[in-house]
Amino acid sequence: MLEPILLIAVPLGFSFSIPLFGTLSKKIEKFIPTIATLFNLVFSLYLLPKVIEKPITSSLGGFFPSFSINLFAGPLGLIFAILIALVGFVVSIYALGYIKEGATQKYHILYLILLTGATGVVLTADIFNLFVFYEILCISSYALVAYIGNKAGIESASKYLIQGSIGSSFMLIAIGLIYGQFGTLNMASIAKNINTVSSIQLFVPIILFITGMGVEAAIFPLNAWLPDAHSSAPSTVSAVLSGIAIKVGIYGIARIIFSIFGASNLLFLLVIVAIATILVGEFSAFSQKNIKRMLAYSSTGQIGLILFAFGIGTSYGITAGLFQFINHALSKSLLFLSTGYMIYRTGSMEITSMEGIGKKMPISSLAFTIGAFSLIGLPPFIGFPSKFLIIRAALAKEGILSIVLIMIALLGTIIEGAYFYRVVQVIYFKGSNTSSERNEAPLTALIPIFILIILILGIGIYSKSVINILNSASAELLNRVEYIKGVLG
Amino acid sequence: MSFISNYIYYIGSFSLIFIGLYILITRNNLIKMIIGLNILDTGVNLFLISLGYIKMGTAPIFSKPNLNPQNMVDPVPQALVLTAIVIGVAILALALSFAIRLYHHYETLDMRKIKEQRW
Repeated sequence: MLEPILLIAVPLGFSFSIPLFGTLSKKIEKFIPTIATLFNLVFSLYLLPKVIEKPITSSLGGFFPSFSINLFAGPLGLIFAILIALVGFVVSIYALGYIKEGATQKYHILYLILLTGATGVVLTADIFNLFVFYEILCISSYALVAYIGNKAGIESASKYLIQGSIGSSFMLIAIGLIYGQFGTLNMASIAKNINTVSSIQLFVPIILFITGMGVEAAIFPLNAWLPDAHSSAPSTVSAVLSGIAIKVGIYGIARIIFSIFGASNLLFLLVIVAIATILVGEFSAFSQKNIKRMLAYSSTGQIGLILFAFGIGTSYGITAGLFQFINHALSKSLLFLSTGYMIYRTGSMEITSMEGIGKKMPISSLAFTIGAFSLIGLPPFIGFPSKFLIIRAALAKEGILSIVLIMIALLGTIIEGAYFYRVVQVIYFKGSNTSSERNEAPLTALIPIFILIILILGIGIYSKSVINILNSASAELLNRVEYIKGVLG
Repeated sequence: MSFISNYIYYIGSFSLIFIGLYILITRNNLIKMIIGLNILDTGVNLFLISLGYIKMGTAPIFSKPNLNPQNMVDPVPQALVLTAIVIGVAILALALSFAIRLYHHYETLDMRKIKEQRW
């Protein structure tokens, strides 16, 4: 019997066996993350059609549900698992050549643990188990940010650690309050008994939970750590943090609000926070001179857009939000990966130092351009259907307010276009008289870039089939009765 | 007075949580902030434990037939706290190792002076 627990157990097992493989040969250890993530990718793709028919629930430890710790592999969780495995796989190929200095063995261990934590968060159906996996994700990402050990890395990692731990303490208080009121930690049994407790008593735990998850998701008042951490980490880690870690926070918020508490009257608050996040992120990104810092702030803006789509609260909105998830995961990892070797070659993160790099590194520059255009939402790429779906979802909701809100959200897209076009202009059209011998990134960097470009183009053109899968995921999030039945049996 | 004696654990745990938050907000020395974080953690752990606590309760082990199930403490919060303590220790160790490296780089632990990264 192939159980979804393997998606968590295999990377975890591989990560701690890396030192063992390292004693055999120093050359093997860097291939272990690639093998583990490839297994996860293939296995989760194999499970996906089965899960869309009927979600798989597995109880760990041999107890029956609501007493045991459950894993619930529905369409939503599995789509996230696929996305995590895909980005993890692509980035691990990139790391084969990119990670050369420092404690490389520890880097690979921590990298796999981070992916384990992220996969665990999206598959679990137990609220404390969620916390534990979330902490695994957070602690490994603190350590990975500090992995280079330079001034900037250590400083931003300690700031990230302080803010992240306050957030997770809030989450633990929320778990305590929920356990005190319901006497259970199973998400489905909490959802089942939600009417036995008055909504005022639920308000405090929900807000504490959103705060705790919001630190990792970097929604507006809690996003101070993100630009520091994403810009001072190595490019592979930035790609994983931007592509996966912040999305896990959003997944947690969505799961709490929709599946567990069904708190649809909090959605307006969510939309307001989302709009603030979009504006703060995009305006700060516009004023940056450091390219990685610009990409990091742009992540904040994109997260705001995802949250906005979720805040619409209809099934259209959630499908659009999930599509934007895929768009951001693929495009932002492509952007970080393509800038990785540009920074390595030029030795600087300033945007002005990228002058004339379009001739020196044509493939990386093309990849950067594609990622940027996709994030802005230009047609042949994946960004176009995703932004189109968000606008359609907002317009399908009646009322003048939603039109005003989508206008503000689209203002963010205009600013986004402005700063990305500026970088593209610097890459291609400035400083052409400098020496222009080609110095392209190595093959280990080009393979992941090609995979991501093909996916961005492919899903952008054939978006219909992906939307069908996402529709079943949004149905899982909105249909609480099915979720309760699915977990408790 | 009965209110205080009934809810003393909750009062104590939330006092610890707020003391920890106060330290984190007002202090600038990284070591003091880590201490504040640890006090916050301790408060949360005390809160979790007090959820399942019964005065004069016993361990929930059914080996002796004459034990009354009414008097048994809830084992779930204890399991949670055990996990939370382990996580807290991991964060504490990581934070202290960051503090050491930060001191090597900057020769100070005052977060107001450590401002390489800015908006």
